[in-house]
Amino acid sequence: VFEQNPCSCSHLLVIYDFIECTCFCNVRLCRYYKRLQTLVKDPRHDCVLFANEFQKYSYCPREKGESQEKWQTRCVYSAAVWYYNHLAGMMNIVMITEDPEAVAQLSCLTSGVYVISVQDYLQSFWSDLQAAHELFSSISQAQQETEGDDGEKEFPEHLPAEVLEAGIKSERYIQGTLNVNKHRAQNEAFVRPKNFSTKNLTWDVLVYGRKNRNRAVHGDEVVVELLPKNEWRGRDTALTDGDEKTGEDNESTPLPTGRIVGILQRNWRDYVVTFPTRDGIQSQSRNSQRILTIPWDQRIPKIRISTQQAEALQDHRVVVRIDSWESTSFYPNGHSVRVLGRAGELETEVQTILIENCIHILPFSDAQLREMPVNSLEKPWTVDASEVAERRDLRDSHLVFSIDPRGCEDVDDTLSIRKLPNRRLELGVHIADVTHFVKEGSLTDLEARSRATTYYLADRRYDMLPAVLSADLCSLLGGADRYAMSVLWELDAESLEVQEVWYGRTLIRSSYQLHYELAQALLNGEQVEVEELADLGPQEKGSKLAQLTEALEMLTHVARHLRAKRDRGGALELEGVEVGAQLDEERNITALVPRQPLEVHETVAECMIYANHWVARKIQEAFPNQALLRRHPPPQQELFKQLVDTAKAKGFTVDTRSNKALAASLDRAVDPQDPLVNRLFRMMATTAMSQALFYWLFHVHEFQCLALDRYTHFTSPIRRYADIVVHRLLTAALHMQRGVVSGKAPASNKEVEEMAHHVNSKNRAAQAAQMRSTALFQCLFFRDRDPQTDPCCVADAVVYSIRDNGVLPQLPWGRLTEVRLPYRAIGEVSCPRTQRPRLSKPGLKPATFRLQGKLPTLESRERTWSCSFSWPPLLFDLSKHFSDNFMVSAAGHRSY
Amino acid sequence: MAGLELLSDQGYRLDGRKATELRKLQARMGVFTQADGSAYLEQGNTKALAVVYGPHEMRGSRSRTLHDRAVINCQYSMATFSTAERKRRPHGDRKSTEMSLHLKQTFEAAVMTQLYPRSQIDIYVKILQSDGGNYSVCVNAATLAVIDAGIPMRDYVCACTVGFVDETPLADLCYAEENGGVSSLALALLPRGGQIALLQMDARLHQDHLETLIEAAMTACKGVSKVLDEVVRQHLQEASVLTGE
Repeated sequence: VFEQNPCSCSHLLVIYDFIECTCFCNVRLCRYYKRLQTLVKDPRHDCVLFANEFQKYSYCPREKGESQEKWQTRCVYSAAVWYYNHLAGMMNIVMITEDPEAVAQLSCLTSGVYVISVQDYLQSFWSDLQAAHELFSSISQAQQETEGDDGEKEFPEHLPAEVLEAGIKSERYIQGTLNVNKHRAQNEAFVRPKNFSTKNLTWDVLVYGRKNRNRAVHGDEVVVELLPKNEWRGRDTALTDGDEKTGEDNESTPLPTGRIVGILQRNWRDYVVTFPTRDGIQSQSRNSQRILTIPWDQRIPKIRISTQQAEALQDHRVVVRIDSWESTSFYPNGHSVRVLGRAGELETEVQTILIENCIHILPFSDAQLREMPVNSLEKPWTVDASEVAERRDLRDSHLVFSIDPRGCEDVDDTLSIRKLPNRRLELGVHIADVTHFVKEGSLTDLEARSRATTYYLADRRYDMLPAVLSADLCSLLGGADRYAMSVLWELDAESLEVQEVWYGRTLIRSSYQLHYELAQALLNGEQVEVEELADLGPQEKGSKLAQLTEALEMLTHVARHLRAKRDRGGALELEGVEVGAQLDEERNITALVPRQPLEVHETVAECMIYANHWVARKIQEAFPNQALLRRHPPPQQELFKQLVDTAKAKGFTVDTRSNKALAASLDRAVDPQDPLVNRLFRMMATTAMSQALFYWLFHVHEFQCLALDRYTHFTSPIRRYADIVVHRLLTAALHMQRGVVSGKAPASNKEVEEMAHHVNSKNRAAQAAQMRSTALFQCLFFRDRDPQTDPCCVADAVVYSIRDNGVLPQLPWGRLTEVRLPYRAIGEVSCPRTQRPRLSKPGLKPATFRLQGKLPTLESRERTWSCSFSWPPLLFDLSKHFSDNFMVSAAGHRSY
Repeated sequence: MAGLELLSDQGYRLDGRKATELRKLQARMGVFTQADGSAYLEQGNTKALAVVYGPHEMRGSRSRTLHDRAVINCQYSMATFSTAERKRRPHGDRKSTEMSLHLKQTFEAAVMTQLYPRSQIDIYVKILQSDGGNYSVCVNAATLAVIDAGIPMRDYVCACTVGFVDETPLADLCYAEENGGVSSLALALLPRGGQIALLQMDARLHQDHLETLIEAAMTACKGVSKVLDEVVRQHLQEASVLTGE
């Protein structure tokens, strides 16, 4: 009954108050069954599974000649009746079925048990729930449409699962994840083989063309068969899907090419789409009910949905789910789930970013909030006496302070440093003790685990923990008693070598809550007002200030030493410039400001890196097989190609074999005339490096960006779930050391592995969302400005790569942005003939362009180069301004 | 890929049993008059018939005679209609030979063979319907038949299979479970002393789990022995009524 439409079911189960019985079916659609099960299992949904077939009074045997569906409906009904009687008729039971016969037959048998269809149910019980109604109608429409429709086969059928499995085992086929090329989504896709090491394949398999891709969608787990060698082809080097093919010469060396023979696992998610323009609808097909919608993500094919609201939803963004993709159909079929809003509006676009990155955030539920400790004016939260006895009390002995960005609410790290009598220094890092409040397995813990991280967007924040914890009780605020997890090192005062390390739970009171600018000003010896000392007399103030400044100086000294030590080990200094959007009260953007790096940033970062490293050492020694560690996967050498090429064009060699070699060669690649060169190289190296990931096994390879053999995340438990896990591991390790048997065994290897995967994927999503939202604000910033008059819109850019039909420039601020210039635009401008061959020659020295920025309209719907479906963070309309600016740049050609 | 869910989150197995629950065990002794001892045993849907002849003089080759104890001769067979697929099962195929051998080993450990030197005891077992746990059902049926024949044993021999799913041992596997990728173990136990008569396992299992699995098997066997004891006492009572004592 339920398996028929899982989406609506998920919706219903969430809002169900009373217990619903589900029958165990021999589910053909195993995936739906699993999904349903996870929904039911989630304690946040208040669902109970009742095994009616195993219950004496609700079981009914199958009659002779009775069909499976009939029997199951009857089983569910008898369970419903039993439940009604079990509750002694106190509560009415509703049973939902899609079978009209059952409704007619069963509805009047027992009073108090209502049998109705989904539609009636929605209408009579949840008539005000508009979203559910829309969802239902779109699903039922999609279901009707899928019946019938026999046409010609557009694609070959997929092979059955047994054949695929046998093929993979015998190495005839290759299993991997499909990655569609963003720039040539129509034709080019790659499959990364799953087990690299066992095969001789060292690179990805190219899947060229729609036929060969055979209905696979970006992200699917697919099986590929290699084509014979004479059909192999290279990747296009052109930037866009050009309509004019220039022939073979824009292809690189042939890659292994294959075709997809089967799909092991669909990884469809919710997609955000827009509708085509009005005239597009009319010309599209004979049946105006079915519309090809255009996904926001270029890598996803157009999705066919049936709706009557196409006209009304012209400028809206809509969430769509793919249902199926038959071999007879050129496009996948789907149904719409909900409408996000008008395109171009801030709220819609932010929602789009969240959905495209699979971030689903609901407000914290009451049950979760009830678990939280209370801290209000009437009932202030205080330190527990039993905790004081157990913890090391640092309130009076240590000067503890925090340094954070201005206006930071969730302070999760504080520092302390002091001189010990025996010619030693004591450096301390104190981290908020979140695990004291968030018990393993509690509702808050589950919620935090599923969120995995706090999501920071340019204008808002989605917390991982409820505000009571993240902004108050866990936050190490100035002047308040707080629980902490501390690492204290005793360092030799001269050599700064570690003599002793102490880990444990502590009780601290932060004396100063500084921000970076203030701390830097104190270090520079400037006269500044420290908020905490405002009320004191001048004498006392002076001495306190001197004490604080001394501590900061000592800290800087130690951090410099640590940094130098890591540099000797070959730590990579990576460069990534971020641009923050400054917002005023109404969330309008007033300016785009690149973040200014200060030395104190580095000091704090260095202490945190040190703490992370030592905690990683501790937990890895205690739990060699279950420690959650973090490291960079070995980078793929081909990603460095661009960096190496660009550097070569400039006359530098870059060695990318190990972190040490790379760091050294980047240090050498400095142009004394142009400091931007080195920065650009560093940025390119950063993009080429793979993202650091969590692992569960200790393994050394030669690419350690931080030049530390073990690393983890320990210092931000308020905003990262991985840190909470590490805190628990550390606690367990300390218990083990003391010989205390803790009640629960630490997580098994497999659980840690799953956790690592989950946290990695969520972190990736969070980062992508943050990047996209910054890009969105950049977009919005430029949208309202006239490129002709506003000086903000003119920027210098460095072209670091030249493709056949476009250039890739790097803006001085912002990430490696991509501006795609169709060649035609260059052809149209009065470009001197001598410039062109130089432009298209590979390995050409990058030239500086003076580009004028004009944003693409966010409303554009077609997927051409100038569309906004993938806001390349900044997209410049060059065709209009290119002519004179190109002349300018050609004249003022910057020589590198 | 993903097969059946052998143990649901509520703790139910495919047929609605809990993890440690045995199938319904029913048995009758003395079902044939010609034989010295006989028994019929049902464990869920697995049904077996066991017949015992002896102890009698050595038949066939006299060279197998043992001078200090009796020889136990076992023969295991399956009826053509015992499985879902109707199949002629000739004597002496590998599977039944192996099973016969296992039965022989089990009963040599349990029967007090030294009381009957230079003689032979025949145990014939036939599976009438097969639904998992064939070996253990055979052992249980044969035990009853041996008792019916009045041959002294050290103790009942009770056997049970256990499987290991999701870190939980499942007692008394049915056919669907045995074929669902469970690593299973068969154990024959002399319950009173807790001695193991036979332990057989050919699946892969982590060493750490073996202990718990054997523990679970022993408890299951003790459960079986209680039922068998009940059956024997019931039979005795009926017999004594019939003989008028």
